[in-house]
Amino acid sequence: MAQTKRDLLVDPLVDNNPITLQVLGICSALAVTSSLQVAFVMALAVTAVTGFSSMFISVLRNQIPGSIRIIVQMVIIASLVIIVDQVLKAYAYEISKTLSVFVGLIITNCIVMGRAEAFAMKNPPIDSFIDGVGNGLGYGALLLVVGFIRELFGAGSLFGVTILPTVNNGGWYVPNGMLLLPPSAFFIIGLLIWAVRAWKPEQVEKREYKIQVVEGH
Amino acid sequence: MGLRNFFDRIEPHFVKGGKYEKLFPIYEMVESFIYTPKAVTKAAPHARSYVDMKRIMTYVVIATIPCIIMGLYNVGLQVNSAYETIDPSGWRAWIISLLGIGFDASNPLANFAHGLLYFLPIYITTLVVGGIWEVLFATVRGHEVNEGFLVTSMLFALIMPPAAPLWQVALGISFGVVIGKEVFGGTGKNFLNPALTGRAFLYFAYPANMSGDTIWTPVDGFSGATALSIGASQGYQELAANGMNWMNSFVGTVQGSIGEVSALACLIGLAFLLITKIANWRLVVGCMAGMIGFSLLLNVIGSDTNPMFAMPWYWHFVVGGFAFGMVFMVTEPVSASHTNMGRYIYGALIGFMVVMIRVINPAFPEGMMLAILFGNVFAPLIDYFVVQANIKRRARRNV
Amino acid sequence: MSDAPNQNKGPIARFLAAPPDSVGKTVFIAVSLCLVASMIVSAVSVALRPLQEQNKLKDKQANVLQVAGLFEPGMDVLEGFSVFEPQVVELETGTFTDAFDAATFDDRAAAADPELSVRLSDDPAGIGRQTKFATVYLLRNDDGSLDKVILPIHGYGLWSTLYGFIALEENGNDIFGLQFYDHGETPGLGAEVDNPRWKTLWGGKKLADEDGSLQITVAKSVPPAGVDYHVDALAGATLTSVGVDNLVRFWMGEAGFGPFLENLKSGGI
Repeated sequence: MAQTKRDLLVDPLVDNNPITLQVLGICSALAVTSSLQVAFVMALAVTAVTGFSSMFISVLRNQIPGSIRIIVQMVIIASLVIIVDQVLKAYAYEISKTLSVFVGLIITNCIVMGRAEAFAMKNPPIDSFIDGVGNGLGYGALLLVVGFIRELFGAGSLFGVTILPTVNNGGWYVPNGMLLLPPSAFFIIGLLIWAVRAWKPEQVEKREYKIQVVEGH
Repeated sequence: MGLRNFFDRIEPHFVKGGKYEKLFPIYEMVESFIYTPKAVTKAAPHARSYVDMKRIMTYVVIATIPCIIMGLYNVGLQVNSAYETIDPSGWRAWIISLLGIGFDASNPLANFAHGLLYFLPIYITTLVVGGIWEVLFATVRGHEVNEGFLVTSMLFALIMPPAAPLWQVALGISFGVVIGKEVFGGTGKNFLNPALTGRAFLYFAYPANMSGDTIWTPVDGFSGATALSIGASQGYQELAANGMNWMNSFVGTVQGSIGEVSALACLIGLAFLLITKIANWRLVVGCMAGMIGFSLLLNVIGSDTNPMFAMPWYWHFVVGGFAFGMVFMVTEPVSASHTNMGRYIYGALIGFMVVMIRVINPAFPEGMMLAILFGNVFAPLIDYFVVQANIKRRARRNV
Repeated sequence: MSDAPNQNKGPIARFLAAPPDSVGKTVFIAVSLCLVASMIVSAVSVALRPLQEQNKLKDKQANVLQVAGLFEPGMDVLEGFSVFEPQVVELETGTFTDAFDAATFDDRAAAADPELSVRLSDDPAGIGRQTKFATVYLLRNDDGSLDKVILPIHGYGLWSTLYGFIALEENGNDIFGLQFYDHGETPGLGAEVDNPRWKTLWGGKKLADEDGSLQITVAKSVPPAGVDYHVDALAGATLTSVGVDNLVRFWMGEAGFGPFLENLKSGGI
């Protein structure tokens, strides 16, 4: 593996983004991106969990019995998630109310498990930590982009600060209500994947089939 | 044939290697609009028929003419009736008085002219904005601009409420063309109806401008609910108290989207499409059967709290977008099922879902749009099962 | 060195070098990991509990402050809230009760407790079970006379139960404000119950007319009782508006705070 530590951190941001390339962690990306603030906190929470879980798992990697490997990873991840959840409830109550169940669901976020299983089990702790943080940031970066679009055009504000005064509050901007509904994130993520792959064509998967022209006879 | 010569002379500039190679789709669009397309199938099987894509699409546009006429008349009628109590205002009123047409609701011509002033801006916006996307994608991808867009834009304009702001119209058709069609590769590869995709987008994005009781008659300060929302809140028996009986709902002089109001006009369009064999009758039969069957069932079940349960099928048929959707959207060949058995099932599924959404979901009084999109999504699956069943049956025969 | 015999190492090193898949080690890792993880988690949970409890309380108190028009961003909620006097009301009689501690009584928990609630047969607000006791907040003037009273209300809208407070003037009939703090209505339509401009419509409206019959209505058109009793419905959100109408009328009526408001009017409080 000739990856430098910088590669480990930067690669998942665009070139190997967990959402746009690997299409992981979509469920929470739909749910928590209706406002930037929430998306931001969620991004931090996921980054913390992926980073530290990868590190701890990597520390233990030579001692973890193969037969209960997944369960051990789950225990570590789950404990970290509970700690994050408790901290949020104590220090960021308003946001934890909106995040509600989705903090708990970081446990099931495929990115965390994916990095633990694919990277941390085979690499030293520091590298694993950086890889985890990098992937968390890659996830977070996309969350922020989606959150930016959804909050700006859905509610006319950014981080709760009014940018486009909405009609209902006496302004001129008619907010796009669909952007406040989770399905809109599907479209935005889809368009982002499209944009990224148009920019970096090497990310496009190979065709699974080809329509053949049958010669006339 | 000076025109033919002109096209032949400029064509080399547009084909591969020419100066304007990239603009070939635009050249092709104009040329094939005037002449027949040159592309012919090269491989077997050939279907020998005069029908080509362009003719199908043109026929569908022709079939919408009764709906357009009734729709324009009705929009004008609603506005002019409202002006009997509210003073006329706005640029349309200005033009009407400039032309000396007047606001007489009993004069069909005045109504028609007034309706035209509402319909044209919406239709032109749809054509221009949607056309830009269409040409853009065709240019980038190097395929031809498809006449299907003329149908999409006409249908889209007809399912808009007359008061729809033009920027929303532009946004809706953009979403419909891009997400509903182009992301899947363009006409023929889309599994959703682009016009409905755009409409659904607007419905969820700007619900205040797409539903409610102030948008159907574009006059400030006038509110009139559609038959479906009255039916949902008070029961269909109350419709008469709001000036709606079955006959005027059938003819189409009630509140509603521009082209959807008249079931009669839709039926004329349907007859045309069936005679020219553009529409497949199995889809229509399936859809009617599904709607009638399920609404009869709900009539029998009944409900104390939900008055919509009692709405009989002949009312379901005339209110909202059912007739329009069934005639022009259920029968759309690209997004419907492609097997004959599948067509019955597909139609019935939509008919069933319309009644289901209208009656049981309190938030969406109009269910046709969502039901058809739902059906679109299931169409390939239905075909798959029909084909599999057929394969199994034939395999059994040869054991 | 790699094939050095194990006898040179201590017991821990020997254990670490043992193959991870042996039964003993698997069990050991599983048990110890669970122990460590549970200890850490419970330690964090216990350490942060007081802060969390305080947050929950603050959140509720901030809502009471908001509906009373006393909330300012950045204020100390706990201190601001101290001007209120919480009381538990027995709904049936409309009188205060000392059976519960008003500072900690939980209305929502009480509504789920069969001892403290009743199943409604006539249930226009769509709440299922109704608590027999509710916490109200009194705001007094400097001289000790009543200024405002804040009552908790909730009921079903289109998709969700809306929880909120209504603030009444001391006469128990004039509305000062209304606020929902928890709901899941459609963004852009029903969720406009949070819209400040809509909320201001409630200020100055009256619950009941001179004859004492409940007239307050959320509707598109002005009811026969007049504009004093009419709050304009939310545009495009018929069912949420109907829900709000139902729940306000329910809680302000006989089955809700009616008896309490009677007492308030007759000066019994």
